Amino acid sequence: MSRIGVFVCHCGENISATVDVAKVAEEASKLPGVVHSVDYKYMCSDPGQTLVKEAIKEHNLTGVVVAACSPRMHEPTFRKACAQAGLNPYLSEMANVREHCSWVHEKSEQTTQKAFDVVRTMVSKASNNAALEPIKVPVTKRALVVGGGVAGIQAALDIANTGHKVILVERSPSIGGHMAQLSETFPTLDCSQCILTPRMVEVAQHPNITLYTHSEVESVDGFIGNFHVKIRKKARSLDEDLCTGCGLCTTKCPQKKIPSEFEQLLGTRPAIYTPFPQAVPNKPVIDRDNCTFYKTGKCKICEIVCPTKAIRFDQEDTILEVEIGAIVLATGFDVKHSDFFPEYGKGKYKDVIDGLQFERLASASGPTQGMIRRPSDGQIPKKIVFIACAGSRDPAKGIEYCSKICCMYTAKHAMLYKHKVHDGEAHVFYMDIRAGGKMYEEFVRRAIVEDHVNYTRGRVSTIYELDGKLIVKGADTLLGAQSVEIEADMVVLATAGVASEGSEDLAQKMHVSYDQHKFFAEAHPKLKPVETNTGGIFLAGACQTTRDIPDSVAMASGAAVKVAALFSSDLLTREPIVARVNRIPGPSHSTCVGCFLCQPVCPYQAIEREDIKDRAGNIIKSLARINEGLCQGCGTCVALCRSKSIDLLGYTDNQMHGEVLSVLEEAFV
Amino acid sequence: MDNLRQKAKELLESKTVNLVIGYENGTNGKARAVFITDPEKTGKLIYDERCKQNLAVYLNKHEVKHYGKIAIVAPLMVMRSILVLVSECQVKKENIVALGIGEDGSLLDFPSLEVVEKYVAKIPLGNPQSDQEILDKLNAMTMEQRRAFWQNELERCFKCYACRAACPMCYCLRCTVECNQPQWISAPAHPLGNLEWHMLRTMHLTGRCVSCGDCGRACPLNIPIHLLTMQQAEEAFHMFGVRAGTSMKAESALSTYKPDDKENFIL
Repeated sequence: MSRIGVFVCHCGENISATVDVAKVAEEASKLPGVVHSVDYKYMCSDPGQTLVKEAIKEHNLTGVVVAACSPRMHEPTFRKACAQAGLNPYLSEMANVREHCSWVHEKSEQTTQKAFDVVRTMVSKASNNAALEPIKVPVTKRALVVGGGVAGIQAALDIANTGHKVILVERSPSIGGHMAQLSETFPTLDCSQCILTPRMVEVAQHPNITLYTHSEVESVDGFIGNFHVKIRKKARSLDEDLCTGCGLCTTKCPQKKIPSEFEQLLGTRPAIYTPFPQAVPNKPVIDRDNCTFYKTGKCKICEIVCPTKAIRFDQEDTILEVEIGAIVLATGFDVKHSDFFPEYGKGKYKDVIDGLQFERLASASGPTQGMIRRPSDGQIPKKIVFIACAGSRDPAKGIEYCSKICCMYTAKHAMLYKHKVHDGEAHVFYMDIRAGGKMYEEFVRRAIVEDHVNYTRGRVSTIYELDGKLIVKGADTLLGAQSVEIEADMVVLATAGVASEGSEDLAQKMHVSYDQHKFFAEAHPKLKPVETNTGGIFLAGACQTTRDIPDSVAMASGAAVKVAALFSSDLLTREPIVARVNRIPGPSHSTCVGCFLCQPVCPYQAIEREDIKDRAGNIIKSLARINEGLCQGCGTCVALCRSKSIDLLGYTDNQMHGEVLSVLEEAFV
Repeated sequence: MDNLRQKAKELLESKTVNLVIGYENGTNGKARAVFITDPEKTGKLIYDERCKQNLAVYLNKHEVKHYGKIAIVAPLMVMRSILVLVSECQVKKENIVALGIGEDGSLLDFPSLEVVEKYVAKIPLGNPQSDQEILDKLNAMTMEQRRAFWQNELERCFKCYACRAACPMCYCLRCTVECNQPQWISAPAHPLGNLEWHMLRTMHLTGRCVSCGDCGRACPLNIPIHLLTMQQAEEAFHMFGVRAGTSMKAESALSTYKPDDKENFIL
């Protein structure tokens, strides 16, 4: 007969305000198998835990039920307390009478009744509990960072500097991400490339970092500490070892008018190209869709001029397979482009551009060498309208959230324009100015006060073209919604930041959850901002939500510490909550009939085939076997197995059956 | 029929197979299963409209498996059952020779089960028309009427489990109803326990039933329980686009997941 102790917590007033905790404790003491039952103000406090520990010793308990909060909060606390008192930690159970009861009901007899019902259910489960031992699995001390923007770079460097190997995968031909495209950064106006490129070079030179650009993650299997990752290294069409990055091929390529992705389509590039001069690695790539040779079968000028004979037209994608212990996702964000806005011309006005395009116009390395020239005719615009919240905070466009970075970069854009075109006029339409951050508010003030940027609080309803001018119609809500019309030479939309293209696919490959906007979901919004719900996969930067450079870098360093912590021990302790296929004496060996229909349902590829052989080595039976290292204890196979040959340790059929029967028992009040 | 007997004889004589499973004339003008190991006795084999039993039910029996290579007279339902059993690793495909019977009763030449797959793929599959007509009537009822119908029918069940014994897919060593640690389904035959058993049998066959109707034929009380699994066969096809017994790969509707699977059953 089990000897169970019940410990009912008041949680201050969180539980005791609506539940008669003393009564629950008293009624629980009458349950079969319960030998000790008390209530206490804070069971999780040191004295509360001591109460549990002493009761275990005094009453020789074989099981503990703590009626308190969610197991997510304090299960580990009480498991440790049990272990310290010499009781197997998996013999303790939490009865959630806070989140599932006191917080969601008024004070009443029924609330107390429900609390007791929950306790009774868990007592029933606890009386069927078995002692379990944690599973130890080895950790592969090599990290994978996906995405080579500033967050990915920072995470890779921080992990590499702790002495662990890092593989950095970037899908474009160079690392750098959006930060490499920016002209200056707020609020200090230092040159973005000047501060980023040293870090890029550091990545390339770091002995612990292996860099794969022009590559993508193909598939991810396995689990924390033991991921098996396939990386698709897309064909660059050249031998990277031979290429010296002299750039001769790029200057001789006859295709010169291909819109450059790096320049946000405002500049051009050849078919064999490096995205920008400081690219890391400085090795070109052939854009096969636009290359004359791939289209017509003739040309090969790059091959002829290449001094090291590095061009390989017949190169194919290669798949690299690597063992990885932890993964940092740093896949960044995209921005909506002007064609997303029917009211602003749906992209047909060349001089209505988005913020990233303005960055390229303002950049000294950009298509206009840093002169602000409008895309349509190359003239210097004398009047620019900046529209903040283009798409963001607009439920009608399906983007309810604030993109967070636009207020600041719009102030920066207006300021940069005023610095470059002294007689120009800059107008900003805004909803609210959100400048929370060190020196951020001062920066916006500076734009308004020192650089005379005109801020108008209101939204722009429409933009149309008239006699070479863009007529911007909006309202000034601080002047009683008075309509405002500005004849502008150029309009810059601070378009909404959105999840990076392909992030949904990647999330599914990684088994990482994501929100309705396809941004990756953190495990806890406050306390686990860099963790995901999948153990061993962490988040850095704007793939979780749009964020600025300092936030991205800080988050990357946070993720790196999590990885380093994971790599700090050789063995990882895992919960022994795993499925197990039953074994019985021969000739049956197991009630498993080896239909293996459980194999495809397992999301973790944890189900293997086990052959039972006779002494001559003949297979007499094949049955399923669960790899305990891979099993995450989800229980899907248990539900599928027709012959009930699989059981989930910690949640066995017997335990669940006992719980269900107990729920159905009659009420005591 | 001569072709069938000739082929069976050849297979046994050449030792290509050690056993032929087929139909023979039984008592009272009925056809019954026959197990032939002697080439001289293949003259017993018959095939006509009385041959309704799904012979695939024997393939998984220990006494039959013991013969190794087996030939089996295989009208469509048997072909489909074989494919299900292969996909669920219950029989080895190299151990089975299907003596295929076409829709017109003629002998089909199946050198391998891959050819059977191709043959099945060409045939429109579904429930037998007479059964589907009853199902359509049942589906047209209100939920209350349907519940009353089934409660009335299942009340008579005394849990002899003949339905389970007749089904080629009910091959578990230990059926869920026999689990008593814990006892999920109550053993005695009473209305609730009967409903539980038949619901369980239906769910376990969802996506695996080949609509042979043998469970219904086996029922000594003539309860039309085959309609339950046949309804589920249609449901599974409409929801997931898969029919049981069309492939030797494990593609059962309830054990595979595709991103575009319907989720409208989630409330």
